[in-house]
Amino acid sequence: MWGKGLITGMKVTWGHWFGKKETVYYPEEKLPMTERFRGGHLAFDEEKCIGCKLCAIGCPNAALDLTVSVDENKKRHMESYIHQIGRCMYCDLCIEACPTKAITWDKNYEFASYFKEDMTYDALVEARNRRGNNE
Amino acid sequence: MAQTEKYVLNMGPQHPSTHGVLQVQVELDGENIVGAKPVMGYLHRGIEKLMESRTYVQCVPFTDRLDYVSAMNNNLGFCMAVEKLAGIEVPERAEFIRVICAELNRIASHHVFIGSLTNDLGSATGMIYAFRDREKILDLFNIICGARMTAHYIRIGGVAADAQDEFLRDTQKFIDYVPEMLDEYNKLFSGNEIFQARMKKTSIITKEMALKFGMSGPNIRASGVDYDIRKIDKYGAYGKFDFDVPLGKRGDNWDRYMIRMKEIAESAKIIQQALDNMPEGPYMAKVPKVLRPPKGDAYHRVENTRGELGFYIVSDGSTKPYRVHIRRPSFVNLQALDTMCKGMLLADAVTAFATIDPLMGEVDC
Repeated sequence: MWGKGLITGMKVTWGHWFGKKETVYYPEEKLPMTERFRGGHLAFDEEKCIGCKLCAIGCPNAALDLTVSVDENKKRHMESYIHQIGRCMYCDLCIEACPTKAITWDKNYEFASYFKEDMTYDALVEARNRRGNNE
Repeated sequence: MAQTEKYVLNMGPQHPSTHGVLQVQVELDGENIVGAKPVMGYLHRGIEKLMESRTYVQCVPFTDRLDYVSAMNNNLGFCMAVEKLAGIEVPERAEFIRVICAELNRIASHHVFIGSLTNDLGSATGMIYAFRDREKILDLFNIICGARMTAHYIRIGGVAADAQDEFLRDTQKFIDYVPEMLDEYNKLFSGNEIFQARMKKTSIITKEMALKFGMSGPNIRASGVDYDIRKIDKYGAYGKFDFDVPLGKRGDNWDRYMIRMKEIAESAKIIQQALDNMPEGPYMAKVPKVLRPPKGDAYHRVENTRGELGFYIVSDGSTKPYRVHIRRPSFVNLQALDTMCKGMLLADAVTAFATIDPLMGEVDC
C-alpha cells in the first residue's frame, strides 16, 4: 500500500516525542570534558619547566614562541611562553614532547573571542596569576 | 516569437547542498540538465606542499584535515605509508585498536552521508537522527584521544595512547545499539515511498562507466564491482576478520544509499570481532625520536570511507619527506557527476551529488 512507509516513519518520530532527551541545556548545564581532552589554553608549570624548548621544536605550525634566559649558574629560565591559538591545531605534539610534563591542557573550551589580540596569550603570566589567586 | 536557449546556473559554492565549497556549473535546458561541471579549489590549502616542510611526525595532524569526516582513516593511510618506508613493525594490539577506530570512523562518516542525503531531499528530521548517532561515536573518540573530529590518534608505529577500558566498554555498548539504529533508519527513510521515488533508477552509473572513471569505495561497489582494498590488498589486521563486501546491482542512487547502510552493519561486525579478540601488549612500536627513513619511495593505499586513499611518499633520507602525493578518492569520484546529472532534472542534481558523497577538504587537498 502506498503511504505505509510514511506512516511507519511518522510512528518513529512520535515515539521520540515521549522519549529521553538527547541534548543538554547549555550553558546552564555543561558536559564534563574527558581526561584526554585537548583544548583551551596551555596550563604551564614554571617549576617543572627546564627550558629545553622541545615543545616549540615539535610544533608543526610554530604556534609557540618562547624566550629563555640563562642565569649565572647556567640554569635556564622561561621569560615568556607565548601561545598563538590561531595557529594551534591542538595536535598534542608539544605536550607529548615535554620531558618533565610541564604543560597540560586546561580543558576550557569556552575561549572564543571578538578580537584577534585575544588569540595570543602568555601561558607563563597566566600560570603566575593562577598561583597568585590561589595563595 | 518565442525562442529557447540553454543557460548556465551556478550551484554553489555557498549552496547548502554542496557539502562544503564546491561550485557546480549546471547547464540547463529548461529544467533538464545538459551538463554539470564541477569547479573546485575553494578549499585548497596545499597540504601536499606543507608536508614537505614538516617532519614525518608533524605531517600526521595535517592528514586529519583532508577528509575531516573520517580522520582516523587518513591517519592510518599516512602512518602505514611511512611505516612501509621506514620498515617499522606495528604491535598487534595497536593494529586492533586501529581497526576499531577506523571502522568506527567509517560508521560516523556514513552517518554524515545519510544525514546530509536526507537533508538534501527535504527531510531535515533525517539529519537529526543520523547526527544523534554520530555524536555517540564522536564521544568515543573524545574518550580515546581527546578530540572529536581531528583525531590525530593513529601515529607512526602504533597509536598515541592505549585504549582504556572505558572506551572498549562504551564501544561495545554502541555496537550493541547498531542493529536497533539501522532498524530505525530503515523505518524512517528506506521504507519511505517519497524517498524511494527520488532515489530509485536515478543517476545510474553502470559497471563499465564506474571502471572507466576510476571510481572506488561504496560508489563503485554500488555499480556491482567487487573492489574493496580491505579484501583485495589486506592491510593491518584486516586479514584476521571475517566480513562481507556488500554489492549493488543497478548503480543508481538507491544502491549507493543501501550499500552504505549495509556497510555500517559490516563495520559493526568487524569491530565486534576486534573487541572479542583484543590482544594484550604494547600499543606503540619502538620508533626513533628523529625519524629518518632510508632513501626511496613507498605507496600505501587504504580503504577510506569514500574509496581508495593512497599516499605516495618519496624520501631523500632526511627527516622531512621530499614529496608527498595523495590519491584522494573524492576527487576521482567527482568526475562522474557530469554523467550522473545528464538528462536528469535540476532537483536530482542535489541527490546525485549527495550520493557521490565527496568531501571538499579531500577534493581540494
